[in-house]
Amino acid sequence: MVEEEAPSAQGEGTKLAEPELVPAQGSVTTVLEQIGMWILGLFIGLGKRIVSIGRWIVRGFQKILRFFRNPGQSLLRFARRLRASSELMGREMDLLSWIQLLAIMAIFGLFLIAPLLSVVWGTFMTDEGFSFEIITTIFSNPAYVPQWQPSNFNIIRPSPATGIVEIWGMDLGIILNSVYMAVFVTMISVLLGTSFAFLIARYEFPGKGILRTLLLFPMLSTPFIGAIGIKWFLGGNGFLNNLASAFFEVFGLTWTRIEFHGIAAIIVVQGLSLFSLVYLNAYSSFMGIDPSLEEQAENLGATGFKLFRSVTLPLAMPGIQAGAILTFILSIEDLGTPIVYSEDPQAQNVLAYQVFDSINAEAGGVNPIGPAIGLILLVFALSGFIAIRKYAALRSYASASKGGQWNPRTRELSTRAWILMYIVIIPVLFFALIPQISVIYLSFAQYRSSALFPPLTLDHYAILGNLNIQGALVRTILYAGVATLGTVLLGVSAAYIISRRNIPGKTALDLLVTSPIALPGIVIATGYFTLFYNTPIFPQRFPMTLIIMSFLVRKFPFTVRAAYAGLQQTPVALEEAAQNVGASKNKTFTSIVMPLIGVSVLAGALLSFVYSVSEVSTSLLLGGANYDQAPLTWWINDTNLGLPPSLGAHPAAALGVLMMVMQMVVIAVTNAILKTRASAMTGI
Amino acid sequence: MVEITLQNLRKTFGEVIATDDVNIVLEDGKLTTLLGPSGCGKTTLLRLIAGFYAPDRGTILFDDRDMTEVPPNKRNTGMCFQNYALWPHMTVFDNISYGLKMKRTQGMKYTKAAVNRRVNQALELVRMGGLGDRTPHQLSGGQQQRVALARALVIEPDVLLLDEPLSNLDAKLRNEMREEILRIQGELGITTVYVTHDQIEALSISDYVAVMDKGYIQQYASPRDIYDAPQTIFVADFIGKCTFIDGMIESAGDQLEVAIPDGQKVVGRTTLPGYPFEKGENVRCAVRPEDLHIKPMNDDDNEITGTVSQVIYIGSDIEIYFNVGTIQAVANLPPEFEAEKGDTIKLYAPRDQMMVLPLGGVDALRKVPGHPLYASDDALEPGEASETV
Repeated sequence: MVEEEAPSAQGEGTKLAEPELVPAQGSVTTVLEQIGMWILGLFIGLGKRIVSIGRWIVRGFQKILRFFRNPGQSLLRFARRLRASSELMGREMDLLSWIQLLAIMAIFGLFLIAPLLSVVWGTFMTDEGFSFEIITTIFSNPAYVPQWQPSNFNIIRPSPATGIVEIWGMDLGIILNSVYMAVFVTMISVLLGTSFAFLIARYEFPGKGILRTLLLFPMLSTPFIGAIGIKWFLGGNGFLNNLASAFFEVFGLTWTRIEFHGIAAIIVVQGLSLFSLVYLNAYSSFMGIDPSLEEQAENLGATGFKLFRSVTLPLAMPGIQAGAILTFILSIEDLGTPIVYSEDPQAQNVLAYQVFDSINAEAGGVNPIGPAIGLILLVFALSGFIAIRKYAALRSYASASKGGQWNPRTRELSTRAWILMYIVIIPVLFFALIPQISVIYLSFAQYRSSALFPPLTLDHYAILGNLNIQGALVRTILYAGVATLGTVLLGVSAAYIISRRNIPGKTALDLLVTSPIALPGIVIATGYFTLFYNTPIFPQRFPMTLIIMSFLVRKFPFTVRAAYAGLQQTPVALEEAAQNVGASKNKTFTSIVMPLIGVSVLAGALLSFVYSVSEVSTSLLLGGANYDQAPLTWWINDTNLGLPPSLGAHPAAALGVLMMVMQMVVIAVTNAILKTRASAMTGI
Repeated sequence: MVEITLQNLRKTFGEVIATDDVNIVLEDGKLTTLLGPSGCGKTTLLRLIAGFYAPDRGTILFDDRDMTEVPPNKRNTGMCFQNYALWPHMTVFDNISYGLKMKRTQGMKYTKAAVNRRVNQALELVRMGGLGDRTPHQLSGGQQQRVALARALVIEPDVLLLDEPLSNLDAKLRNEMREEILRIQGELGITTVYVTHDQIEALSISDYVAVMDKGYIQQYASPRDIYDAPQTIFVADFIGKCTFIDGMIESAGDQLEVAIPDGQKVVGRTTLPGYPFEKGENVRCAVRPEDLHIKPMNDDDNEITGTVSQVIYIGSDIEIYFNVGTIQAVANLPPEFEAEKGDTIKLYAPRDQMMVLPLGGVDALRKVPGHPLYASDDALEPGEASETV
């Protein structure tokens, strides 16, 4: 404050000089005011961002308009630029690069862009030609648009028959349901993820290693698997209610049993399953901050919350934002959770479920409303993706640290502080780990046991002897293996072109190959149905090719980012040194580049593989075309829907545990290989 | 060995002109230094020679072979990178032998024994014998530098390219490696291009120095000429210390008469033969501090009067800062000379040592007939000339 006022006082020399010192405000009000200002600033920042995206889009349109206003000259300029860039291409690209580039373009064109365009086409082209009919139908349908009836806001519904208090979500129409659901999930994720990340990144306390390992577990399960467990665990007569009830009885009190339903249940499941995305991004952001930046601020007198708010948080913001937006997208496109809860009619009222519902996979029939809803999902996902790439990723502050020692800034917590912290954190951590705990517990708990701690049994793992399941398991590994092979071949090529070849359209290529991380699988699958059904690529009852291709395309970003991260850490001079002593470009690639980035590629490939195996949305849709070719997730869903005790939730949970074990092995391996670089995988 | 001819080279990155109008001949077997501040285009020029960049226009000749379009792996140059670029996944031996394994002579390749022998010779040459099985991270900075040098030399390149090879070493090692590079270059007699921003390094090791600024070669001459007869204000300022006094040409001829502030007048020579000085033209006079004396050497020495502003004793000399009008000047005087702040002092500079330099930097060079930059295309484009000042 003082520094700011000093020059202005000098500038108005002739006027009565203003006092250079003002009293420092009381501490409580200052902190409150600062928190208020910070929240305000967050919203202002968000608003500015939306405005600038709007401007960016408008500028794009203006550019196109300008082109047509003066077509002759524009064409001339376009031709000149085309010639210049083709010259550049000729100089930068050799035969191998061309083959690589064309293969990538072919695969992505056919299995990503074309299906998405087909969804857009299907939305606007009816039998009578181009029309907005389907869109207007959707927006005039009361099920889709907000209806503001008091009953829709009836969140707490006691059920007299069972004595259970049911908590439901609001029903604001399908579109708004999805949006507010994703917003709540994002909020939960940011709160949990950022707090855990800051704690781990900045404090030193007993048991930190264990805590850090435990926090890797949320990466293990998809919301789909988690939902199966949580539904039982948090159910009205589930473990947690039983536990609370027993606990209250000790004191002679009565516990009111609570059960989540509909969208409220989805929010709980997704929030607890997806927060690890924010955690990982925030953690790597906190760790990536040059300690001297914080030390400088401390040196100038900022400590505690002030330091966090003015230096640490702004520097970590790009990572947190990227994680948050990714969570939003994954929440809105998640199909698994609504399917698990689909017996609540409200849980069906979200966009992803509606797309799923509009496609009759076995007969290949697509309700024209499906692509239209898919388009709405796509718009959300794409704007989120652009927001991440345009702001978050670009603004990630590459620490311009010029040597010097990098002293990690961790602080010892006093004994009192860490005991206090554990009192808070153990319950929070317990809730955060519910998806994993519940699935594991469910898979071992005896069916229909009303005991507080049901007897444990291995019976449910008998499902592994089921021939259908074994077939699916082998098939899934085969699908994922083939897809991963393609991912590695094309992913390394793409990463190499993006990182080393200075060609026009490089950024577009980068956007294209990383976008699948944000594109809803269910929309891509819808596109496969509208575009390819009953063609040689997707003959009736033969979804195998497309399942593999969907794995390849959708899990491509993991490998490409891993390879890219590897390349970024390999100075170009190493390749130039090889060329300088006579190695050709291809020879340089095989003898210098591949050995140096091989480990990164391996890690990325493992991740692509494991995420292919646990993929839900395309697997459920495409698998429905023929269950003899369906992957494991389809069979987990089928098992979950089956009749207990041989099928049902318990055996489904057993399969979920199997999947989690596979994932855990892979993630442990990649973490060991990549160490701190692991964040490069999950960030966009 | 080869002679490198750079003709009319230009390289831009988008809007930024990295280097332009380069016309020099790097002589066979000589060590030529590209010297300049960071961002002056010296590394760009080196990378153009290595082939990592393609010029926007112009040609690069090795003897009379046009290398402009030849890819880097076919140029037979040996380059040492600033950060050495040793491959971390290979041993020292593998790093050095890599280029030999790539090398084909008339479709034939080296036998294993030949490779071994050559690598060991190279290791001996850089005094690293017996360390072939180390990996790069087991080596000190100086050792890494030696390996990088051996790797570049083992393929018997036509040209040795060194990109700030000593910048990552400490002062003692730097001197040692400088001697080492000079020794090896002398033993092999290889055409060498050396990039540095350290003027002492450049003056001490080079046969020729090309001083660069803002993408243009300001002067290309022997170290002695660069110091004694800098042709632009930039060169005079960048190399060594210099006192500058602004003035106006009173009369042009063999000797130039220049009016300087306070009604004084000096006579000097030009370092840029052929430059058309005109009466009334604003110029800058430059004189080295050691060329200002207390007593006149000759009868016609220039006489400069000023007021002492600061006296600094540096042992071998005494540095006197003094003001001529509003201009601050510096002189190196014998240590026994006594002066105090505020004294008026009278100093003498021989006419030969008073250099009269035109303003306008590169644009001034363009007016000199016979200079490589004379009447080049860009001089005719008005917009571009202003950027070069």
